[in-house]
Amino acid sequence: MTSTAQELHPAPVLEPGRTILELRGLEKKYPGTHALKPVTLAFKSGEIHAIVGENGAGKSTLIKLLTGVMPRTSGDVIWEGKPAPLATPHEAMALGINAVHQEVVLCRHLTVAANMFLGEENSRFGILQQRAMVKEAQKIIDDLGFDLPAHVVLGDLTIGQQQLIAAARATVRGTKFLIFDEPTAYLTRKEADQLFTLIRRLKSEGVTIIYISHRMEEVFELADRVSVLRDGTLVGTRNIAETNDAELVKLMINRSIEQVYHKEHFTPGAAIVETRNLSGKGFENVSMTVRAGEIVGLYGLIGAGRSEFVTTLYGRHRKSAGQILWEGKPVQVNSEHDAIKLGMALAPESRRDQGLCLNLPVGLNLNLPIYKRISKNMLISGAQEKTQADRQIADLRIKTPTRHALASSLSGGNQQKIVIGKWLAHGAKLFIFDEPTVGVDVGTKAEIYRLFGALLSKGAGIILISSYLPEVYELADTLHVFRRGKLVATHGFRTADHEEILTQALAEKQEKLGGKI
Amino acid sequence: MSTEAIPAEKPKRNYNALFGLTLLALLVLLWVILSLSTSSFASANNISNLLRQGSMIAILAVGQTFVIITGGIDLSVGAVVGFATVIAAMLINAGIPVFLAILITLLVGVAIGLFHGFGIVKMGLPPFIITLATLTSLRGIGLLMTNGNSISINNDAFQEFSRNSFLGVPNLFWMVILVGIPAYIFLHHSRWGRYLFSVGSNAEASRLSGVNVQRTIYMAYTLSGLCAAFVGVLLASRIGIGNPTQAEGWELQAIASSVIGGTSLFGAVGSVHGPLLGAFILATINNGANLLNVNAFWQRIITGVLIIVIVYFDGLRRRGGK
Repeated sequence: MTSTAQELHPAPVLEPGRTILELRGLEKKYPGTHALKPVTLAFKSGEIHAIVGENGAGKSTLIKLLTGVMPRTSGDVIWEGKPAPLATPHEAMALGINAVHQEVVLCRHLTVAANMFLGEENSRFGILQQRAMVKEAQKIIDDLGFDLPAHVVLGDLTIGQQQLIAAARATVRGTKFLIFDEPTAYLTRKEADQLFTLIRRLKSEGVTIIYISHRMEEVFELADRVSVLRDGTLVGTRNIAETNDAELVKLMINRSIEQVYHKEHFTPGAAIVETRNLSGKGFENVSMTVRAGEIVGLYGLIGAGRSEFVTTLYGRHRKSAGQILWEGKPVQVNSEHDAIKLGMALAPESRRDQGLCLNLPVGLNLNLPIYKRISKNMLISGAQEKTQADRQIADLRIKTPTRHALASSLSGGNQQKIVIGKWLAHGAKLFIFDEPTVGVDVGTKAEIYRLFGALLSKGAGIILISSYLPEVYELADTLHVFRRGKLVATHGFRTADHEEILTQALAEKQEKLGGKI
Repeated sequence: MSTEAIPAEKPKRNYNALFGLTLLALLVLLWVILSLSTSSFASANNISNLLRQGSMIAILAVGQTFVIITGGIDLSVGAVVGFATVIAAMLINAGIPVFLAILITLLVGVAIGLFHGFGIVKMGLPPFIITLATLTSLRGIGLLMTNGNSISINNDAFQEFSRNSFLGVPNLFWMVILVGIPAYIFLHHSRWGRYLFSVGSNAEASRLSGVNVQRTIYMAYTLSGLCAAFVGVLLASRIGIGNPTQAEGWELQAIASSVIGGTSLFGAVGSVHGPLLGAFILATINNGANLLNVNAFWQRIITGVLIIVIVYFDGLRRRGGK
């Protein structure tokens, strides 16, 4: 009964029962990355189909293609027997394809009822029938068994409750095919149970559910079938009854480690920074040391508190407790300025939001941390500004026509090189790289890893955050695993296997849920 | 991999320079048309008059541009000008030396700018709100101080200044140069100028790169307040009175000049020469319309249309330049 799509054929072998949506060689290429290699897969009406895979495996690309947010590069999508171009989100919605995203995309300032009917308001002679809508919304919510009021402002609810409303909203729109993207990331257990009830109920009404999650226990609790994506390739589809945890994890991470991971080993020197029971918003009680010449990897799921930890270390946020020692001495890091002065450099997680001034030139971005150094009596030395920027562009092989081109005109990999390059010019003892290779092609990845080696050889220490296990696994001399704001495990270079680390990051075993299985 | 470096030599820069030239060309074109179609436009008297009219808005526009580059807005500048005329008039009439009176008036402008910075950085108010509040309250304070009357300034030398010329160019226009050159160096050749741009483009990224974002915002509003107070001094000299209701609506003219000069209200795009040209284009249109006996009501409409057209073409140019 297993339909494996490992070998690609024009149309998948179908089980008896109606196929609602079929992917035939669906493919997506971005400049520099092959995000989704041709996928052939059939979804059956009324099934709950889980899709699992690591970050960057192609799950979100698949959702974007199915919901019409992005155009595909090639391949076909067959909806109820007819080809569907899915060129716009509107078209996808008209067919009955809807998605509930991890982040709630609703209007926080409107009421629950107004959000439920947004775009399809109930009006008479152009006047909104507010009371009728609230009543109707309340009925739907009660019906679903969510104990939530329809007349309150959405923003007053918890994120989890908002997520439930988003799900409820999707159900009232004649949805036949509903995609949940990590819906439980912010939910409490009780809210998750309510959501599962809703999902089962939709299934019984014949709605096809695509359920994307990192959490294995949820997959086994809910799904009928599960497909695994790895590096943009569909590596297998299994009936849930015929597979297990271990097999899925193996499918997810069993990759050939390419020559990408360039790793140089140095004898670690003195401690550069040490945290003692550091706590702050999003993480607690983290103690670790980074020594000269070593890479300390932080692995965990998105939202595990790693970024919060490093931004607090960097002075962006206030710590609530604990101590930071810099080269053995206790220090106060009250601002980014303090951190930079000590010798820290941060290449933040989001290039767009934290890393770059996108509508300004490459040169300005590269020189931003060092303008003080290349100025004399307030005036910038034009010659130095030029040589500094051009040197980084040449050293890092940033592909840009000139330093005057806007940062936004560069590809993701080259933008990332700017984020890193500005700190190379500045110099630092501790480099913090937060997801440095997200959206970066393999060639650039390799260059970035070689750069790590060069920094280490000069006696710097590196903190490397990655949600991509092979990356931290192959590069980190010390690997810390984060889960829900806590440092839960520490390993040496390649001393644990992937399964063990992934299990520690996910931790289903310890927190088996409410006897649902 | 790096072989494709340096094929096209600075495409971006040239666009900006080109835009500056287009504005200059527009200004020259307006002058040529007006010289040919009216007998009085090209007279020395009228040109001096035109330069005087444009100068004060031009200086305001420069200060305004600093603020807009950070992604903010300063609605208070017109009110600061009116308020500054009152301060200057009172101080001079009180017998304080003119030099000192001017200095104190400028410091008042700085204080107002610092207050704006405080409201934005420490109180978390949107720039629109805090400067709107100052706009209305400063006029109120000025009216209280003067009891609603104008104060005549009893100092001929002070008033002479705005009427006189140096090397055949009105003193008021020399003041534009006095402000414009340091402003140009500040914005385009100092690191503080770079920080204005970077904060306007992405405050968080700037902050994480070690830029003191709060100080940068304080600086922008302080400079805008300083420019406005300076214009207040010039206006007091020109009209010889202190009156808090003067310069009504100048903030909008300053913003319009800045925007015509290529400043983006979304921040991170702007220059010093652009707003200066923008201010003189607006002044020329008003001046020319007067000479051509165009109804004053039409002048306002023309200005509005011009803003739409110029900014629209500027947007096209930017999008095309991608």
